[in-house]
Amino acid sequence: MFAQMCGIAGRTDDPEGSAVRAMLARLRHRGPDDEGVHSDRAAGVSIGIRRLAVMDVEGGHQPMSNEDGSVWVSFNGEIYNHGKLREDLRARGHTFSTTADTEVIVHLYEEYGDELVHALEGMFALAIWDERRSRLLLARDRFGEKPLFLHDHGGELTFASELTALLEVTPQLRELDPAAIDAFFVFAYVPGPGSIVRGVRQLPPGHLLTWERGAGGSVERRWWSPGEREIAPPERFEALVAEAKRLFEDSVRTRLVADVPVGVFLSGGVDSTLVALAAAEQSSQRLQTFTIGYDVGAVNETLQARHTAEYLGSEHHELTLTREQVAERTPGLLAAMDQPLGDRALVPLNALSEFARPRVTVALGGEGSDELFGGYPRYRWLERAARAHSALPEPALAGIGGLLRGAGRLGRGEQAAARLGGAPMIERNLDWVTAERRSRRQGLYGPRLAGVARERVLDDLSARAGALDERSPVRWLMHLDQVDYLPDDVLFKTDRAGMLASLEIRTIFLNRELSEFAASVDTSVHLAGGGKALVRAMLPDGIIASRRFGGYRKTAFRVPAADWLRGPLAPVLRGQLERGAIYEEGYFDRRAVGELVREHMAQRADHSDQLWPLLSLGLWVDRFRGLDGG
Amino acid sequence: MADRPRLLILTPDFPPAPGGIQVSALRYATGFSSFQTRVLTLGAPGGAAFDRDSGCSVRRVGGGRLPRAASAALLNAAALAEALAFRPHAMLCMHIVASPGAAAVRAVRGAPSVQVFHAEEIGARPRLAAFAAGDADEVIAVSEYTAGLIAATGATPASLRVIPPGVDLPRDAGPLPVERPTFVTVARLEERYKGHDVLVRALALVRAKIPDVRWVVIGDGSLRPGIEALARSYGVSDSILFLGAAGDEQRNEWLRRAQLLAMPSRLPAGGFAGEGFGIAYLEAGAYGKPVVAGNVGGALDSVADGETGLLVDPLDPVAVAGAITRLLDDGELAARLGAGGRRRAQELAWPLIVGRVEAVLLEQLRRGGGARRRTLSAPTGV
Repeated sequence: MFAQMCGIAGRTDDPEGSAVRAMLARLRHRGPDDEGVHSDRAAGVSIGIRRLAVMDVEGGHQPMSNEDGSVWVSFNGEIYNHGKLREDLRARGHTFSTTADTEVIVHLYEEYGDELVHALEGMFALAIWDERRSRLLLARDRFGEKPLFLHDHGGELTFASELTALLEVTPQLRELDPAAIDAFFVFAYVPGPGSIVRGVRQLPPGHLLTWERGAGGSVERRWWSPGEREIAPPERFEALVAEAKRLFEDSVRTRLVADVPVGVFLSGGVDSTLVALAAAEQSSQRLQTFTIGYDVGAVNETLQARHTAEYLGSEHHELTLTREQVAERTPGLLAAMDQPLGDRALVPLNALSEFARPRVTVALGGEGSDELFGGYPRYRWLERAARAHSALPEPALAGIGGLLRGAGRLGRGEQAAARLGGAPMIERNLDWVTAERRSRRQGLYGPRLAGVARERVLDDLSARAGALDERSPVRWLMHLDQVDYLPDDVLFKTDRAGMLASLEIRTIFLNRELSEFAASVDTSVHLAGGGKALVRAMLPDGIIASRRFGGYRKTAFRVPAADWLRGPLAPVLRGQLERGAIYEEGYFDRRAVGELVREHMAQRADHSDQLWPLLSLGLWVDRFRGLDGG
Repeated sequence: MADRPRLLILTPDFPPAPGGIQVSALRYATGFSSFQTRVLTLGAPGGAAFDRDSGCSVRRVGGGRLPRAASAALLNAAALAEALAFRPHAMLCMHIVASPGAAAVRAVRGAPSVQVFHAEEIGARPRLAAFAAGDADEVIAVSEYTAGLIAATGATPASLRVIPPGVDLPRDAGPLPVERPTFVTVARLEERYKGHDVLVRALALVRAKIPDVRWVVIGDGSLRPGIEALARSYGVSDSILFLGAAGDEQRNEWLRRAQLLAMPSRLPAGGFAGEGFGIAYLEAGAYGKPVVAGNVGGALDSVADGETGLLVDPLDPVAVAGAITRLLDDGELAARLGAGGRRRAQELAWPLIVGRVEAVLLEQLRRGGGARRRTLSAPTGV
């Protein structure tokens, strides 16, 4: 197996492929080694790819076709079961001329048509041009690990792996979507399937799209979705743990690359430790582990990571991200995103990727564990709040909430649960995950955002969550996170942080079987004993040293953002406030944000929850405005 | 007839509850002509009426809402009482949870005991399995796979034979017309290892080749809502017919209609045993239908790859889909494997199997097995 990191692009009204080439130029960072474009001049359709050859990819040039040149494929991603698929296809009489997994896609399409997606285990965004049927097929993987942006125009379609590439050939698309900016401020990421630019959308995870000229343009349909309903069979916990372990180890095995150094980013938490443990057991080479620390703030996970590395016997590397490095790299990184991202963990993840890249080709990640196995503490708190809410009448609840708050002995989670007890579940969840930015919009928004309906963000989120039906509130929230937060924040961050450093990050938990198994286990099993019970039970005793090191930490790569904003990033923040387009164009109120900045700088308050998304957005919009000038 | 030796069949599982062990126990209870047989089992809804109609001598204790462990304890205690009342000359113990009772009766009465092993129970309770295997005069494993599981507990049975469960040969096994290409699965939806999840994944691929394919799911259980949800995840619900716990007649009709039976049982993780033999494969064979099964565990004993069905990697939906599609597409192959299945079913028809087990029991009587009175040595905490 070999890794291919790529960017793909295509257009249905581009007979010479010039627009596709222009898009590919913008995707160069995703694939600096090779470029390919296939044009069907008669149909006017071109598809292309930029490819990074991480390992020997002889014969891997794309787009790739079948023997008679009637089916062409541009493929971004990794198919972990391609060896098995190849065997199966050979047995059915298909012949292969390369070792590339893209060729498997070509033959799978011949065999199964659009349903080929069901045979694929892995992360992907792909485009298949079927010349005989004059039909384009686009598909995106189950969880949204690989991106795909779309623009429909007069029955024609343009697509690209990154928004910026798509914008390169659509100069008419320069209008930011105020509703998306509103959503961005609330969530700190742009929720799909829209984008921050009007006229551009994303193919949602687990969806495919077919396009035929004159046949109504593009038709989209869902081909997979995360499980929505748990079951409660009388199963022994040990049997469930054993099954989870088997699936997890299978996932690690299929994602390891033979004779290639593999790395794991250790945060000291349960997920990365478990991933590292399995990788160390299964890898033919000594495992490389990486961790990050900072020269500011109290956040330091390096001690626990070092302990874990000693246990594993891995070759361990520590990076200290200094204030100078933060000042130097962060503004460029935030601006370089193809869509703005306000997730502060982007900074350490990208720095670690760059740090690891000379030493390893592929890194294994624990993304998705919290969403699939119930790791976020809010699941437990919200469940308790829901139970209390259903058991007590409203006035009693309000009274209890007041008493609890007044008692002043509660942790943040308990306070929030008490405070939010009376609101509908979706609002409670939203206020929890967004640090209540929703309620602070009023004072910070400028005239350009004044027209956005304040409840729209809530309505959109409710629509994505779907009806509660027979699901438990916790299952419902876990499902919402899997279709929203996971693809649009976590996986967006992982893809871009890795790609900018030319490092491929393979997620272990985002495995079809493992995720479907997790969805089939009752949430009460997941949440027992502090959450993520099955994941914790897979760890051997003693590997997480003790509570002294933070015990079972819930968040990977915590970031001293408040300190950075007061220190190395203060000049950029002030510069933004003075000249930033989001203030110039009236999206945000300069005076109100200025007041936040002053309070934060004077250490009267920690406003990093609001200032970090504003900084990310501001830097991105400034670059977006300069796009036409290059 | 009163001078026939008395045989006590100890079994927690007995009809009218459905299941393989239940059916076997009933066959033995009604089939041994050389013995006067009594069944000691657990109380069950509809049990009394069933026992009246079956013509068996059945004693039922406990059951109902009692937890399984408490019921087993009650069954073992009742075995001793039955030793005094019925004074058995031999015992057939259908499940290891009744083995302490069998051991006690053996110690008290000197009656030889034959212990039947399936599979699942060995992985779930290895220490009790080892005790049961070591204490019995004769061990019957339903498959080579089961024999391997017994060996893995470290037990050294005095004597071990592999005798699979039998199958009923239907009087009318002819195919019934069916309007859509159909494959069927017959299994309770209680155990993940039966592979319903993999069949959902496979169905999405089968549909790509055979758009009007239909999967008929016979059996019910707590896994069903999850499998239904999984089908929705894949958008294949409209190709599935969940029949629930169908009666024998309805099941048999579907076996006559369907082109094949698919049940890709896998080995559960963590040493849990999975499919001991897979009687469903033989039942399909009895109707001349080929099967798709996993290439692991007890299915290796019940299905001959390329002769009665296709054995595939039960975890690989592409392989499972490929085998199902092949049999739906290739009528000639399906007919050939179906005929093979029919021959295999004839070799393992219930009268032959009952005869083999009866011969084992008679031989034990002849040998005077169990006469050595041993001290009870049931391990604690089993």
